[in-house]
Amino acid sequence: MSIAARASPAATRRRRLRLDLTTPMLLGLPLGWLAVFFLAPIAIVAAYSFDVYSLDPGPHGFTLTAWHDFLHSSIYLRLFWKSVKMSLIVSTIIVVLAYPVAYYLALSGTKRKYVLLLLLIAPFLTSYLLRVLAWKVILGDHGVINSFLFWTGIRSPDHPISQLLYSRFAVMLVLGYIWLPFVALPIFVSLESLDRRLLEAASDLGASRLQAFRKVTLPLSLPGVFAAFLFVFIPTLGEFVTPSLVGGTSGYMYGNQIVDLFGTGFPDWETGSVLAIFLLGVVTVLTVVFARFLQPRQVAAD
Amino acid sequence: MDVALSRTGAWILRTFFFLVVLFLYAPIVILLIFSFNDSAVPTFPLSGFTFHWYHEFVDNAELRGALETSAIIAALSSLGAVVLGILASIALTRRRFRGKAAVSALLLSPLVIPYLVFGISLLLLFHQLGVPRSLLTVVIGHIVISLPYTILVLVPRLDQIDVSLEEAAFDLGASRLRTFRSITLPLILPAVVSAFLIAFTTSFDEYAVASFVVGSRITFPIYLYSAVRFPNQLPQVIAVAVVVLVVSLTVVIAAEVGRRVAERRLGTE
Repeated sequence: MSIAARASPAATRRRRLRLDLTTPMLLGLPLGWLAVFFLAPIAIVAAYSFDVYSLDPGPHGFTLTAWHDFLHSSIYLRLFWKSVKMSLIVSTIIVVLAYPVAYYLALSGTKRKYVLLLLLIAPFLTSYLLRVLAWKVILGDHGVINSFLFWTGIRSPDHPISQLLYSRFAVMLVLGYIWLPFVALPIFVSLESLDRRLLEAASDLGASRLQAFRKVTLPLSLPGVFAAFLFVFIPTLGEFVTPSLVGGTSGYMYGNQIVDLFGTGFPDWETGSVLAIFLLGVVTVLTVVFARFLQPRQVAAD
Repeated sequence: MDVALSRTGAWILRTFFFLVVLFLYAPIVILLIFSFNDSAVPTFPLSGFTFHWYHEFVDNAELRGALETSAIIAALSSLGAVVLGILASIALTRRRFRGKAAVSALLLSPLVIPYLVFGISLLLLFHQLGVPRSLLTVVIGHIVISLPYTILVLVPRLDQIDVSLEEAAFDLGASRLRTFRSITLPLILPAVVSAFLIAFTTSFDEYAVASFVVGSRITFPIYLYSAVRFPNQLPQVIAVAVVVLVVSLTVVIAAEVGRRVAERRLGTE
């Protein structure tokens, strides 16, 4: 396609237009903004992690102490691993749930495809905190579920199901709830772009629907599945709002630890910076490795 | 015979789809019900219908102040993000330059940075520069995180427009700016509006970054966050929640429908 476009007369004219040197003007402001308010701040965090900058007054030199302590601490790494596991579980479950939903929208031939897609995604576009709040109201000891159980006499008010709120379960439930609509999107896009003739061919050649799904549909939709997975895994890994509202102590995540290190109690910006840069490093590696699944069109398409 | 789904399969999937939708909307509906419930705590059984909580929230000056602050921040930051986004998107779609892949990756990279890490980074930047935290520091951060969303909306639209229209204007002697104003901008206007709305809602709802760089005037999400922790304000907050949810759902659906209608009218080619 690109070769054909390059050969067209329109493209020749376009090339002539490009001689106009406004590209630096166009890019100067956006790139400058990101350099000053996005890249430089990250560099400063890195500088804090090496103690080049510090909250303490006085001269400072480059040290690896905080990094050394971090890599040899069982607390931080164990907490990170716990967060990885929670994020993995949440991402896996909701990708598995979202797949049939996206499959229905993309391949069932329903006429109201886009209306239903909007219905599915709309909750994602509303306030994040309010959706967390809803679950707090539902899950609390005297919340909707428990008071309903008391009211109907299924449980006595002295014995509410108290594991509902302030638990690892609550964090994972709420995170799954929040990200589920979003996850369906990239899967939907990859299934919708599937050429139905491939399925017809499979069927003509004697494949059952299940075989066609396993050999054709599923492999072809895997990029969307990977993209969906990463779109949830990355933000939930660095999550701190949901666990701080519904997680209690058992739902405490790596992100909460970072916030606490920058908190007002006993701030330790050096260690906090190490934790932040480590998280950023992991996320960057994941993104780069899986970049080919994270094409912009996966997100932009609707 | 349908090759993708048997009739039973379609039925099962449809049921499953609507169960998922039910799961997604049930908590919102529950909030709606309890916002009209005449009780200080959201518990069963329901104890009567009231508008009390809505009155209380209208009278709550702190809450209204927070909503106003968030609206100002959202308006300023989405304006900034849309301007930067238009500039960047034109460069990405209409110019050829070296390192385009890297530039586009950088422009989109705020999408994947954990907001927690970005919030802390901005905090340290402003700390290092001695800049006091204020409304402006939040606006700066929100422009960064909204920028990629505006680009993701604008680039596909710019790609759809027939370049020869711009070339014609240029050949007829219009300056680049004039060409942009008279040809390109009107054609991408629906996408500009939808980019603005996406940036606006992103900023209006943003807690993580704002929590690190906010000044003394708190934003609505920050107010919400603290209110959620103190249960005595719960019914009132639920009432606000319902209003915000309904307004944002309406805006989102209207924007999407409007964009589709407008783009169909303007034509895609």
